[in-house]
Amino acid sequence: MHAKRLLKVAAVSASAMLLVAACGGSSGSSSSGSSAAASGGAAAETPGGSAFAGPVGMGEGQVNILAWPGYVEDGSTDPAVDWVTPFEKETGCQVNLKTFGTSDEAVKLMQGGGWDVVSASGDATLRLIYGDLVQPVNTDLVPSYADIFPDLKMQKFNSVDGVAYGIPHGRGANLIMWNTDKVTTPLDSWAVTFDPKSPYKGAVTAYDSPIFIADAAVYLMATQPELGIKDPYALDKTQFDAAIALLTQQKELIGEYWSDYTKATQAFESGSTAVGTSWQVIANLAEADGGHVAAAKAKEGATGWSDTWMIAKDSANINCAYKWVDYIASPSVNAQVAEWFGEAPSNAKACDLTTDKNFCTSYHAGDTEYWKDVYYWNTPTTACLDGRTDVQCIPYSEWGTAWTALRS
Amino acid sequence: MNTAIRVRDLRRTFGTVVAVDGVDLDVIDGEFLTLLGPSGSGKTTVLRMIAGFERPDAGTIELDGVDVTSAPPYARDVNTVFQDYALFPHMSVLENIEYGLRVKKVPKAERRARAMEALEGVRLADLGDRAPSQLSGGQRQRVALARALVNRPKVLLLDEPLGALDLKLREQMQVELKAIQRDVGITFVFVTHDQDEALTMSDRIAVFNEGRIVQLGTPAEIYEFPASEFVAGFVGTSNLLRDETARAVLGNAGTWSIRPEKIRISAAGTPASSGERAVAGTVREVIYVGMSTRMVIDLAPGGTLVAVEQNSGRHADERLSMRGEHVTLLWNTEHEYSVN
Amino acid sequence: MTTTTATHRGFWYRHPGLRQGGLLTAPMAWLVVVYLGSLAALFLTAFYQVDDFTGQVVRSFSLKNFQNLFTTSAYYQSVFRTISIAVLVTVLCLVIAVPLAFFMARVAPRSWRPVMVALVLTPLWASYLVKVYAWRSMLQPDTGVIAWFLKPLGLGGPGYGYLGIVITLTYLWLPYMILPVYAGLTRLPDSMLDASADLGAHSGRTFRSIVIPLIFPSVVAGSIFTFSLSLGDYITAQIVGGKVTMLGNVVQQTYVTNLPFAAAVATLPVIIILLYLLAVRKTGALENV
Repeated sequence: MHAKRLLKVAAVSASAMLLVAACGGSSGSSSSGSSAAASGGAAAETPGGSAFAGPVGMGEGQVNILAWPGYVEDGSTDPAVDWVTPFEKETGCQVNLKTFGTSDEAVKLMQGGGWDVVSASGDATLRLIYGDLVQPVNTDLVPSYADIFPDLKMQKFNSVDGVAYGIPHGRGANLIMWNTDKVTTPLDSWAVTFDPKSPYKGAVTAYDSPIFIADAAVYLMATQPELGIKDPYALDKTQFDAAIALLTQQKELIGEYWSDYTKATQAFESGSTAVGTSWQVIANLAEADGGHVAAAKAKEGATGWSDTWMIAKDSANINCAYKWVDYIASPSVNAQVAEWFGEAPSNAKACDLTTDKNFCTSYHAGDTEYWKDVYYWNTPTTACLDGRTDVQCIPYSEWGTAWTALRS
Repeated sequence: MNTAIRVRDLRRTFGTVVAVDGVDLDVIDGEFLTLLGPSGSGKTTVLRMIAGFERPDAGTIELDGVDVTSAPPYARDVNTVFQDYALFPHMSVLENIEYGLRVKKVPKAERRARAMEALEGVRLADLGDRAPSQLSGGQRQRVALARALVNRPKVLLLDEPLGALDLKLREQMQVELKAIQRDVGITFVFVTHDQDEALTMSDRIAVFNEGRIVQLGTPAEIYEFPASEFVAGFVGTSNLLRDETARAVLGNAGTWSIRPEKIRISAAGTPASSGERAVAGTVREVIYVGMSTRMVIDLAPGGTLVAVEQNSGRHADERLSMRGEHVTLLWNTEHEYSVN
Repeated sequence: MTTTTATHRGFWYRHPGLRQGGLLTAPMAWLVVVYLGSLAALFLTAFYQVDDFTGQVVRSFSLKNFQNLFTTSAYYQSVFRTISIAVLVTVLCLVIAVPLAFFMARVAPRSWRPVMVALVLTPLWASYLVKVYAWRSMLQPDTGVIAWFLKPLGLGGPGYGYLGIVITLTYLWLPYMILPVYAGLTRLPDSMLDASADLGAHSGRTFRSIVIPLIFPSVVAGSIFTFSLSLGDYITAQIVGGKVTMLGNVVQQTYVTNLPFAAAVATLPVIIILLYLLAVRKTGALENV
């Protein structure tokens, strides 16, 4: 049942990708150079204007949501999975949903306008903030915010200069995972995925996204401290080149890269992939299918994601938007979404409401220690995110170019 | 006289349809033999079996004394001119003609020379570089002929080759084909459903009906003395007197035929000379066909005959006014023959 | 009432140009605006730049994207790899489709034809993704069906990679080659083949000298499908390509972060296909398609 759901999710995101790819070519003229320059200049102030002062009043009758597949369910995927209908009944806000398959796609859709809220991962949030596409969130108007785990609040990827830009939704870490038939001794290090002498040459997998450069940076933080990497998303030229060199070397070991988790699950289960980067949900899924797999957080630390509900700058349904971000972060709904999707909930009280009582434990929901060396996806910018001002960091667009060149 | 083709007890069935039902045929070296018959009579199937395009269910085919019954088409020393010409559209006229020689690995110079010669033989020497699609129907037909003849086959098979041409061109090609055949001295087996064409061109005609040969003979034999009612009707105008009518008119029962051009039309009451028969009748229809006039006459004793007269004497309009007139028909009794 | 109708009819009858214009306006508008318009936008975008900070497009003309494409070995290798995959797929499709179509059109009983055409079409009824995932499991190293078949021969399966992409794309686009070739073969008059045999050519010679040249336009039509579909594909490479990528993957990976560069990359297949069409036109094969 779990597998079926994920297949659906994968299929939906794949077809969405097709659609966007088909339309991508001609939509280039929609963004404007002048506004880019303006927002660049305004980066030091608060982008996106000021937050909604409140109070949250009557709903406007609808709310337009952009979300990862699985985050907004109205019973059409599985009749038992439905938290949209109660919301609509309670608030009178009709939900109009569009899902996306990648963070890049989410950004592109937001640039098109017409949306009220978006569930953004850390590698999209800053682009949305500095692209002047989202507005600060007045957390006083969101009662659920009080119960969010403190270590998710006011992070680099969801706030700027002490101003909150969204409500945390859930998080997960990128784990090292292995097929126990192929790898007999438990692993606790990324070394076998990066070391040229790895015994698993040809059966290593990696996440197929520019953001994976950060995974190499995390490994370098532990293995080459002389590079001085403090934040895997703030890499200067030297650090960046070192990461790319490591990845180029890793490519020799790679059997295949993965970008949708159905494919990754199948590869780990079948053993065509012996070891590599994975998510908690993939490990659970493969185990549920009877696959001989195990996963662990590597001792070098890991990258991870933490998703945030953000409100579009030009939201036309601001009251419904606030009602939605509060609703989706509330304990019972947050618990449902986290269980359905397979990630750690953001609301501390959600842990008492999950159907599987061990859920929060297995996903380390409130385990502050566990998340300490998890570096949530973030958007690299020229201004180094770790606060350095003496150097320029490599921006995300160049991460993309470098990754493409590496993969080509 | 040598036998170019010997066919014995040839049979072929398509599904439940018996196309060829026991055909025996000897084609004499150098003759122009026509297979004549209505569509579906089996004449084309026999030709295609001689060429090797169809396998007979039973029977044998010998070419020049050699049994070729199960030999593929490319191993038989015959060539075919197709009804639709089957010129290769991706080759020029000259390349089309050279194809057979090229396949047989004839050296290039000789190949070219023979092809040009063949092209001149059909009076198309200037059109060698054209594509078949740029030619008229008659020109295509001659290219198809040259393509077949250039191989100097033992026998040339022609499958209704003039069927797609208009009347004028067809008549011209009939003469030309016959002349070419006389020049090259190759045996021609010619399939047609057109009796005039068959009579004009052939040395001998084999008349087909329902998968069998019903009569084989020279054009004159076939025309003058049809062996059956079917032949009489298919070759020439059917002018039949049957049973009661025959007894009343001729004094003999059975089915009898008199060719229309053998009948003279005279004024009513004209007496018969010796060896002639005179029968009274009324003109029912007068059909003017230019060179001659056809008249349909109801005989007084019963029955109907068609008579044809050359438009050499009287003015044609006079004849047209003869409808309804009483006349006497005269013919030599030699021209009465039984077709039972 | 009747008079009005008659007048109206008369009007359209007297102005055939207007009538045609009326009929064609909507499709022409669609063709020009949507199709050519988007191509033009694509081409134009290929010369723009991207703002490093916001990732947004800056409209300043430059050849940097193309320079980048042709001077970075990773990219031009990707171009050659993609072309080689498309060529291989087309050749494989041809090798499989021509005999198959010949059997369907000329050898098998006529009454089998509809069934065989339906069988050729059945894979097209299934979703693209389902088919590619099916190939993923078949191509699986060691445990896949193909590896299992090859094991007794002492061979390993092709696994995920270049060969896996070629095999999967060949499977995906095969019907697009079979159908035009089949149609071409059914249009071929029987008498052409008879004539060739009659002139002394055995079957092999007839196939080479008559059948192949005559169905060449159909083969070209099929190859345009297989070649261009392969050239633009990226999902197959993602699923069965292992670490091998095609041009489509480059576009997919860059179109959000660097749209102008993605546009430059996307222009390449368009140019390659145009060159291919030009080359084909030279042979005259397009005149009768």
